[in-house]
Amino acid sequence: MSALAGKKSTIARRVVIVGAASGIGLACARRAIAEGAHVALLDRDADGLAHAVAELGKHASAQTVDVVDGAALRTALTSAIEELGGLDSLMYCAGIDLEAPLAALDVASWDRSLAVNLTGPMLAVQSTLPALRDAGQSTVVIVTSAAAILPVAGRSGYCAAKAGATMLAKALAMELAQDGIRVNAICPGAVDTPLLRLSWETKPDPDAALEAIAQRYALKRIASADEIAAAVWWLSSDESSYVTGVALAVDGGRTFH
Amino acid sequence: MRGIADKVVLITGAGHGIGAATARRFLEEGAQVIAADLDGDAVEALAASVPAGQCLPCALDCTDADALQAMVERAMAQFGRIDILFNNVGQSARERGGPFHLSEEATWRFVLEVSLMSAMRTTRLVVPQMRKRGAGRVINMSSDAALVGDAGLVDYASAKMGVIGFTRSLARELAPHGITVNAVAPGAIRTRAHDKLTPDVLKKICEMTPAGYIAEPEDVAGAVAFLASNDARYITGQTLPIDGGRWMV
Repeated sequence: MSALAGKKSTIARRVVIVGAASGIGLACARRAIAEGAHVALLDRDADGLAHAVAELGKHASAQTVDVVDGAALRTALTSAIEELGGLDSLMYCAGIDLEAPLAALDVASWDRSLAVNLTGPMLAVQSTLPALRDAGQSTVVIVTSAAAILPVAGRSGYCAAKAGATMLAKALAMELAQDGIRVNAICPGAVDTPLLRLSWETKPDPDAALEAIAQRYALKRIASADEIAAAVWWLSSDESSYVTGVALAVDGGRTFH
Repeated sequence: MRGIADKVVLITGAGHGIGAATARRFLEEGAQVIAADLDGDAVEALAASVPAGQCLPCALDCTDADALQAMVERAMAQFGRIDILFNNVGQSARERGGPFHLSEEATWRFVLEVSLMSAMRTTRLVVPQMRKRGAGRVINMSSDAALVGDAGLVDYASAKMGVIGFTRSLARELAPHGITVNAVAPGAIRTRAHDKLTPDVLKKICEMTPAGYIAEPEDVAGAVAFLASNDARYITGQTLPIDGGRWMV
């Protein structure tokens, strides 16, 4: 029998969420808790984490860490797994935007985009690999972006990093199937998160800027974070047991992938 | 699954395999199901396994346009609406397979009729009432045989790629009406078609599937239920492979 075949029992799933203090990560934490999971939240925003844990209750714990500090990320993941007593699902939700036309693209911003959006998920999976192997029928979901599938002008540093993370998910799906680990990417379009708000609230006419974003999607609206979390949860559950190596766009009709 | 219990679901090819597993799944979730299949006994048995009135069995040839219309009219009379359409029916002509240059038009027509035209016709019958209500879900059955381009299945791969174009274009057209349209693209699933394959072929299929095993129809039912649920309300125009990682592009 293959390592991937079979189902998990109904015991509480042990979930680590990287980038969990706000936006999609926080929505994933809320969904996981609602589904009866035990959740460890990682983020660099200590205040946000404190609020999240207070809201989520006794099955949530927190570790403050910046994903660009690889050694600290490893340490935080190790203690998160210790606290959970193992790991069934890793959700990588940390992400930063990089809006800069090529001529204005500085190497420091480029490096930072790669560090958070691409190196971060690689290190997170690498650090949790022994625990994911031990658990079996375990899952990794990397939240990337519809911009990983469909290019966006003026955001090459973001698109390239997210496309890299999407292929990272697929390559790891191929490599880790034999260990009973499924790896998938979720590619959201515009989502109502603090990250997206930065991109339109700063424009001269914020309402028009938000409307312009919504018009790019066939459903003519942006997503709520919980709509992305729903897909992340599905890919982390037994319901998707034969799904691995996919890039599922949750984008209201933009990429038609 | 969220938001399925009170829904009316039409499933074509619901007698066996993935269609039957999906029908059972929706029935377990409390939905009302119209189960259409050429094998009337199979859908009758499905209906008999649940409380009377929850499942409407329809024995028909899903390539028969008049029969499809009569079925939709009957379903509308009984349930008043169809919330979710799963265009599942389809068939390869593997038993008639062979080199492409020897393939016969009659076989091509059969495969295109049952795997693409039937979905088009059923959808055309069901969509008007969805547009009127400003809500609906259409889920089409594609196949990773189309994505991969399986040798010896040119007709089937063509039809199933047609389903993907149908899905994308229709998703764009129906989005303003609150209707999402998606496709599922299963890989190796244990169905009647698989029963006809030799152990050698089955072994080869496992070897080219990273997950290393052949999945059950219920694995696809889980994906269809997800796409039909509230959880997937922001997903449209997508083709979701359920194939143990065989196709990753």
